[in-house]
Amino acid sequence: MAVTAPGTTGTRGLAPALCVLLGAMSSLIGLSWDVQWHIDVGPDTFFTLPHLFIYAGSAVTGLTALTVVLRATAAERAGRELDPAVGGRAVGVFGRTFAAPVAYLVTGTSAAVFLVYGLWDQWWHGVYGFDATIDSPPHIGLLLSVSATIIGSLMTFAVARRERWGRAGVFLAVAMLLAFCTITSLAFNDANSGVHVVDISIAFTTVMLLLMATSFFRQPGAALLTAVTVAGLQVVLWVFTPWATHAYADSVGLPVRDYVEGVPAMPNLIPMSLIGVALVVEGVLLLGRRNGWSARLVAPLLGAAGAVAITALAPVQRLVFRGFPLNGFDYIAMTCVVAALFGLLAGFLGWRFGLMLRALVPTEEETR
Amino acid sequence: MIKRLSALLAALGALVVSAPSAAAYEPVNIVHTERVQAGPYGLTVGFSTWPVRAMQSLDFTFVPDGGIAGKSGTLQQRFQGTAQVENTGRGRSAPLARHPRKRDVWGLDIRSLDRPGEWSLAFTIDGPAGRGEGVLTGLQVLDQPGPPLALSWSVSALPLFGLVGFLAVAWRRSSPNRYELVAI
Repeated sequence: MAVTAPGTTGTRGLAPALCVLLGAMSSLIGLSWDVQWHIDVGPDTFFTLPHLFIYAGSAVTGLTALTVVLRATAAERAGRELDPAVGGRAVGVFGRTFAAPVAYLVTGTSAAVFLVYGLWDQWWHGVYGFDATIDSPPHIGLLLSVSATIIGSLMTFAVARRERWGRAGVFLAVAMLLAFCTITSLAFNDANSGVHVVDISIAFTTVMLLLMATSFFRQPGAALLTAVTVAGLQVVLWVFTPWATHAYADSVGLPVRDYVEGVPAMPNLIPMSLIGVALVVEGVLLLGRRNGWSARLVAPLLGAAGAVAITALAPVQRLVFRGFPLNGFDYIAMTCVVAALFGLLAGFLGWRFGLMLRALVPTEEETR
Repeated sequence: MIKRLSALLAALGALVVSAPSAAAYEPVNIVHTERVQAGPYGLTVGFSTWPVRAMQSLDFTFVPDGGIAGKSGTLQQRFQGTAQVENTGRGRSAPLARHPRKRDVWGLDIRSLDRPGEWSLAFTIDGPAGRGEGVLTGLQVLDQPGPPLALSWSVSALPLFGLVGFLAVAWRRSSPNRYELVAI
């Protein structure tokens, strides 16, 4: 096994990783709150508390990344050895001007890109008005930037996988990324005519991230623990989002709209079928370990099966919680067929991405 | 240190407290109206921007003669005669709700019509004089402002392309061995 586990890292790297995680969490909570604000209350300006959460989150992650990169650069110039426990291997930026630990390079770059897209969003609102649609091009650019920030956060914890805090951070960052990808999938809102592209996109990202975490941890129970973490995050957002929306509306003297549904929009996009899918993944992997099955075959097949289950059950979740009538059988069946094909790819990619995350930690041979 | 932290917290608190007042919500400013007769009810449809352009959001107001008290109704948006899905999965008609910034009338806030062409707004109103139906026809929506949508989406997808490029490089450099690729 080439990727041998390095020694423990202690709490080196914990403080900046926590700062990035808290920043990303602020953006995630702010987004769920902002979406609900537009649905339940409505009036918008730049200076709302949900926006403050979103933008403050990116500011915290960006400034943390900048600090880590500057410290690493100073350490390298002083001839000191860089600590891979803080964000993984350092890569040169602008030649060798800066030495940026790769996790913080991703985090900082995406936070900077977020600000650029924030400016573009402001320009967009100037031309198109303060449209309350989540799926406008600048909004999707902003959401993709935050997703990349969460990937950076995931990497900051992945390099400390020998530590309990590192493993806990990976579970939480994967859950946050999975939740965030559901709303980014709304970019396909206008493409739902032949098949439900939004459901397929959510299933694709969900299954890919679940199998990524499974491949990363390589331990029984990893898939289930990932799903449980997602469910926990879903519960927190489910409770917090409507409460914060209505409390904030009260505090600024704005009324709640007529005919609000009372179901939090973003938390309800997260597939509740994930725990069932994770149990199947655990069962199949158990069989696979006993019988020596190859992950090259098992991962794509699990991806396809998981994507079909999530896609097929998404309309049921909408029926139960929002009262939406079920789509026709042909429509759901065709959506499931396409989801299966994308699920094969999601399984293949997710498994490999998990290995890539493991490879962020230098092997013993490399560290010698 | 404690003093600095207190000052920082005080500044943040002041920012949060002052935010609502600094963020004055714009009044609903109607610049154009049309009349619709829905059975026994006369209805004034107001627009905060005129002419209307595709994807450009505006405030709509719907004011029945005599006010909205004791009345209810539905709205259906039709593009070139075809009813648009008002609320995905729920149906093609939406209940007429009070405008959040002008609570004495029905309305839609910062809402856009998504494509250029001829639109119509169909109303059903229930009130003391029974049910009435009426349609505002011939609502011409001009082309969208701003750059072509394909260009806007391409710009927005750049972070995704960047991420895919990063993952491709990381993929090539990670090179796991055969055991890692097949072991479960």
